[in-house]
Amino acid sequence: MSAVVAATELAKTYGETVALDSASLTVDRGEVFALIGPNGAGKTTLVRALTGTTDPDSGSARVLDEPPAAVDRDRLGVLPQAFSPPDRLTVRELLTYYAGLYEETRDPDDVLADVGLVDAADTWYEDLSGGQQRRVCVGATLVNDPDVLFLDEPTTGIDPAGRRTVWRLIEALADAGTTVVLTTHDMAEAERLADRVGLLSNGELVARGTPAELIDEHGGTSRLEIETDAPADAFADLPFAVEQPARGRQRDHQGIVVRDISPAEIGTVVDALETDGIEYSGLAWAEPDLEDVYLTLADSAERARTGRGGGLDADEPTDDELGDAPRAGETA
Amino acid sequence: MSVASRVRAETGAGWRSFIRRRTAVFFTFFFPVILIVIFGALVRTDPAGGGLFAEPPVYYVPGYLAVVVLFTPLSRMGSEVARHREGNRFEKLATTPLTRAEWLLAQTVVNAVIIGLASLLILGLVIVLTGAEIAFSPLLVPYILVGVVCFCGVGAILGSYTDSQDGAVAASNGIGLPLLFLSETFITLEQLPDWFEPLVNLSPLTYFTRGVRAVTDPGANPATIAGVDPALANLAILAVLAGIVFALGARSIPQTD
Repeated sequence: MSAVVAATELAKTYGETVALDSASLTVDRGEVFALIGPNGAGKTTLVRALTGTTDPDSGSARVLDEPPAAVDRDRLGVLPQAFSPPDRLTVRELLTYYAGLYEETRDPDDVLADVGLVDAADTWYEDLSGGQQRRVCVGATLVNDPDVLFLDEPTTGIDPAGRRTVWRLIEALADAGTTVVLTTHDMAEAERLADRVGLLSNGELVARGTPAELIDEHGGTSRLEIETDAPADAFADLPFAVEQPARGRQRDHQGIVVRDISPAEIGTVVDALETDGIEYSGLAWAEPDLEDVYLTLADSAERARTGRGGGLDADEPTDDELGDAPRAGETA
Repeated sequence: MSVASRVRAETGAGWRSFIRRRTAVFFTFFFPVILIVIFGALVRTDPAGGGLFAEPPVYYVPGYLAVVVLFTPLSRMGSEVARHREGNRFEKLATTPLTRAEWLLAQTVVNAVIIGLASLLILGLVIVLTGAEIAFSPLLVPYILVGVVCFCGVGAILGSYTDSQDGAVAASNGIGLPLLFLSETFITLEQLPDWFEPLVNLSPLTYFTRGVRAVTDPGANPATIAGVDPALANLAILAVLAGIVFALGARSIPQTD
């Protein structure tokens, strides 16, 4: 079976800026493929190249076995990133309007219910909250019951409950055979929805795989965070890797992270703390997740771009500055 | 879904969007009204005394109609295209079955209805305020429709090549004002230097003005064009220009970034 969406070495530059650099991917029928990556990594350009709304400089794309510009528009649903429909139409009018552009459509009232906007059906778009507006845009993308969906940051601005409504909708569509390509900055969204994830950095797809594969490969290890004022040296006897992160909003708080530890082994750590008389105020265990993958693969690009230790950690040395030297407080 | 269905859906959305902008609705009709009040009732025409308004009142009917046939599509289409670009609406529409020509056709239909209503208002006011003796001809309808098609195309081009709504409105004013006054609307060809005549002939609005004058002014005695009745010949020329400009306007609407 051929892929429903296929990109082969797509490249695109805007002046000096490389937006896409030999990006290749395939997405099969009923699969949800999430594109993640920093701002400006090329996610939107890739979606545009796949939907025929930008022409790549080189490489090729095919959707439903056709070049993007030749795809039957009735089978396509596209949600652009910064999309704003006519603002003085009601929600129902907007969905009816977009439905009127297609051959076969769903009942706009059913779509209204799907995106959870029945109560706002007669409200002008401009009078909705940002999250409600985004839900209308998602609804406008679904009115033609498409075979392939391209969703560029579909849940931006939507509250947590509404986000879950959209997630359930996407899951149901994928279960019914709709192929979905979505971009997101929400790692929980990618982890929950995506069968496979591709991480774009500087226009390159630097990693791709199932969320589990990416986490195994790039996510690091599980960790147990201990809220304590004790120094890392106090944990030297523990049979686990221990580190004292330099980052954190409460810099005066001395937390310790124990790496590569299973839940069953937490008791060992607790026993050691009590034996050694180390005071602690809390324990939190976490498995690595897609955010760890993202930070591992994309954070160095962010640091290189900003020329500093990334975001608010302005005084944190960059990877380049650190070179191969051990991290502060790192004992393992 | 047929072309007609898609155009109907787009037209309905465009019409609702327009009538819900009360300020836009008010000034769309107020602009020609105030122009007629100033030119026709306050300045008044003076057939015997010479000067700017030396012709009989009916002579200026094409000019008053040209105000809406020219300016409304230019400014509305220019800003509508710019608004669509700013909201990434064309990016969305490019992924639907609606073509650029269908979108422009739908917007043209909206403009035609608005301008048709404004034209009725203008004709009534001109008769009441200036006493113009207008000869009504069915040809007036195609003139207005073809004129709207033509200038909607120009407006689409302006909106596509300007970078904002403000820019589109400024450009439409910058092009519309010279066209309005240099297309035999309010100023006769005799009042302009001889060398300017070829430029007047380049303006599509000139053929609208000459044709509308031929069908509305019983006293006008326009020359035939290649032996063809000027009322039909000017309409034919305007229709050809409208077809070309409409095609260029549709093609200029951005489909990709």
